[in-house]
Amino acid sequence: MMPSSKTTRSRPLSPNVQIYRPQLTSVLSILNRITGVLLSASAVVLVVWLVAAARGPQIYVPVQAAIASWIGRIVLFGATFAFFLHLCGGIRHLVWDTVNGFELRSIYISGWAVVAASVVLTVAAWIASASMGG
Amino acid sequence: MDPPNMQNMRSPLARAIGLGSAKEGVGSWWAQRVSAVALVPLTLWFAASIIANSGSDYATFVVWLRTPLTAVLMILLLIALFYHTALGLQVVIEDYVHSTTRFAAVIAVRLGCSALVTTGVVAVLHITLSG
Amino acid sequence: MQPDGNYGMIIKSSDQVPHATLLKRFPIPRNFGVTPESRIGRGTTWPVSGSATRVKTFVIYRYDPDSSDNPRLDTFEVDLNDCGPMVLDALIWIKNKVDSTLTFRRSCREGICGSCAMNIDGTNWLACTRFISDLATPATIYPLANLRTIKDLVSDLTHLFAQYAAIEPWLKSKTAEPERERLQSAEERNRIDGYYECILCFCCTSGCPSHWWNGDRFFGPAVLLQAWRWLTDSRDETKEERLDNLEDPFRLYRCHTILNCTRTCPKGLNPGKAIAEIKKKMIERRS
Repeated sequence: MMPSSKTTRSRPLSPNVQIYRPQLTSVLSILNRITGVLLSASAVVLVVWLVAAARGPQIYVPVQAAIASWIGRIVLFGATFAFFLHLCGGIRHLVWDTVNGFELRSIYISGWAVVAASVVLTVAAWIASASMGG
Repeated sequence: MDPPNMQNMRSPLARAIGLGSAKEGVGSWWAQRVSAVALVPLTLWFAASIIANSGSDYATFVVWLRTPLTAVLMILLLIALFYHTALGLQVVIEDYVHSTTRFAAVIAVRLGCSALVTTGVVAVLHITLSG
Repeated sequence: MQPDGNYGMIIKSSDQVPHATLLKRFPIPRNFGVTPESRIGRGTTWPVSGSATRVKTFVIYRYDPDSSDNPRLDTFEVDLNDCGPMVLDALIWIKNKVDSTLTFRRSCREGICGSCAMNIDGTNWLACTRFISDLATPATIYPLANLRTIKDLVSDLTHLFAQYAAIEPWLKSKTAEPERERLQSAEERNRIDGYYECILCFCCTSGCPSHWWNGDRFFGPAVLLQAWRWLTDSRDETKEERLDNLEDPFRLYRCHTILNCTRTCPKGLNPGKAIAEIKKKMIERRS
């Protein structure tokens, strides 16, 4: 294992993320993490929004207007999708913690179910919100 | 692993064992799962409430927020959310930050989440108890 | 090409070749984040003679420790009419007919020794059990991911085997040795099914992103599967020490159930499930 005297440099590391094929397993997992971090940022926004509500209409109305602006709506739409992805992905994780659903077929079916459910729930939430006048 | 050199002549087994097992870790894992289970109904309630309240003005919104049930659920949501967030972000930092900066980052995340949850709870109580 | 059904969207067993992924690799630069000695350069092309009718192109990672060059990618054209059906046959054909310096590990040629584990078309598998007809064009062959390269496709597995030794993979008992064999019911013996068959090829560990980022402290799926094999063996009497040894935020809990391991195991084993069983035992022993 000792290198010969003329090569004291380190052995090269074989490529990992640069060449490994993205599969449903790894992609959904990293998406769960990315949505989790995004939702952490959303949690901060939630507190800001609650403080604005507590401070009275002078502070609250501009904050609400910012959220209702077109850029606020785009961000909110993204946040809703992130929320439903993380929620469905999280439930999938909780099921795994009971040592169920580990056969490859179940992993793939539950994975696609998470993607489909997230899309459906996001669209349904926004349609419901629009019908309420929001 | 790199071949041994003048700085690093530990045996591979010693390197694999490292500092040994911490003999703890299940506590944080369990807390993450418990807060996750709590967050499923709480966040769904919150999302449904926001949708139901879409398009209402400030006064209507505050009346809803002022009901005791809403206040209790909102406070529970804040506590579970920031506990889950703190644990989750700690795991993310430990995964990607390997220098000693990670200790400062984890402390910052935990203290930040404590500050935010306190601010949020106080805001909810302020709305509920005032006026 | 094996017919996949569902357009390859539902994978039923790990030997289904991953054709249907949206991307073949993450859209990042090829040398993204690599240290200078690991940067991959362009290599030579070895064309096949014109009389070959069925030709397959292989792009293979090469590294010569006796030169001062960086690793490179060589392109080989293989005459499929002159070569066996498996990827290992192609590698042996290249070594015999084209470039005898191509270096790789191999032994049993039947998927049981684990020597020829490598990254083929983006996922880890054994070269001797992967059909050439299942490969993309051109086919890409890299060594197992995130390991130090000794030469060409031969990786340094020392740390992985050291992690394996760290879990003490042998029967440990406290009571006196029995006069005859240690008894075990049929149902108890069935509990190690799906775990004792591991050939330690390390396809799973080398495909685990958590092991890529924390491989110095995270044990990885292969070692944890073997840890479960000994935990669930009814003849072993040191469950407490084994669980204590594993309960660590890095050794065990870097597993975030990514499940690349179960997807890539060439023996169809389920390291993800084994790790979940260990985590369940961790909770059970304190509730």
